[in-house]
Amino acid sequence: MKRYVALMIVLAMAVGLVGVAAAADAEVPLVLEKNRWQPDVVKVKAGVPFVLVITNKDKGPEELDMLSPRIEKVIPAGKTVRLKMPALKPGKYPFVGEYHSETAKATIVAE
Amino acid sequence: MGATFIVTLREAFEAALVLGIIYSYLEKVGAHDGVRYLTRGGLLGLLASVAMGIGVSYLSGPLLDIGPDLITLVVIFAAVGLLTWHAWWMQQYARLIKGQVQHRIDEARASNRLWVVGLIAFTSVFREGAETVLFLWGIVSEEGGAGWGSLVGGVAGIVGAAALGWTVFRGGQRLSLQRFFSVTTVFIMLLGAGLLSRGIGRMQGMGLLPFSEPVWNTSWLLSDGSIAGGFLSGLVGYRAQPTLPEVVAYLAYVVVVGMLLFVRRAPAAVGVASPSRS
Repeated sequence: MKRYVALMIVLAMAVGLVGVAAAADAEVPLVLEKNRWQPDVVKVKAGVPFVLVITNKDKGPEELDMLSPRIEKVIPAGKTVRLKMPALKPGKYPFVGEYHSETAKATIVAE
Repeated sequence: MGATFIVTLREAFEAALVLGIIYSYLEKVGAHDGVRYLTRGGLLGLLASVAMGIGVSYLSGPLLDIGPDLITLVVIFAAVGLLTWHAWWMQQYARLIKGQVQHRIDEARASNRLWVVGLIAFTSVFREGAETVLFLWGIVSEEGGAGWGSLVGGVAGIVGAAALGWTVFRGGQRLSLQRFFSVTTVFIMLLGAGLLSRGIGRMQGMGLLPFSEPVWNTSWLLSDGSIAGGFLSGLVGYRAQPTLPEVVAYLAYVVVVGMLLFVRRAPAAVGVASPSRS
């Protein structure tokens, strides 16, 4: 019984921690429409992790492709994906939509 | 049309190369029943790719946020393990048959591992397969009807990759057994190293390992996005902007597996296996 209670406490703490971590990360919206990222310059605060909330408004899927940090993330048509991003040093981090790399180009700017 | 041709050619050629090599290998050692496993594995990989491509579109919430990434990661590391094992086995086999007049297959040993061959085919196709399915789907759903020309390009890319695999298969038939084994073992080793470092990179991107900045940047010389860069990435794991853990993983793999494959072990074993009298 004691063990069970201890387990529950640990679990609750874990859930709490995850919740706090999730709550602490700022959400940065990013939309794909007509094979273009909006905005095409995404400004974020340097040094803190954040969550990119990516919505694909197009009829086809898209894959966000970034070289550094190494990210390949599929966003199905009409869906929203929450992508956890690490803390970035100040600088520019370009990415493309791999399936429409001619038009879907954008940059995350960490300041 | 040309752009989509390149994309699917790049996605599919790695699988085509691996399949070409293993078909050739099975043919060479006379394990004809293995061909069936390989084909089935490949077909299952194709089915799984389509299923995943469709499945992903029905997911949502946290499942969509990390589910596909975790599957990709598992497939990458499974492929590393399987390919390493296969290279090791090929090397053992090459030693075994060295000096023998007739290189006949050891049926018992071969049948033991035929399912591994099937698994390799599965992971090779499935790894980039789902992405290719999504890519083609994206093309077709393009607005304005411009999609079909691109779709033809995309399908042509896959056919092109298959032709490449076939060429490897034919070429493999012509090489001597010894040369075939050494060339493909090196190739599979580099492929494994590249895959391992790719898996590590993905883990960094997913936050499972701490993120680090690239240690160098050779984009000016050969960018990942270029055609040559893309092919080199598939072949030997080239990265224009690798992170330290990626580089370390790559080198560690090459050193450890290279020693496992190419350095002769205990002197006693050498004494037995050595063809010094010939």
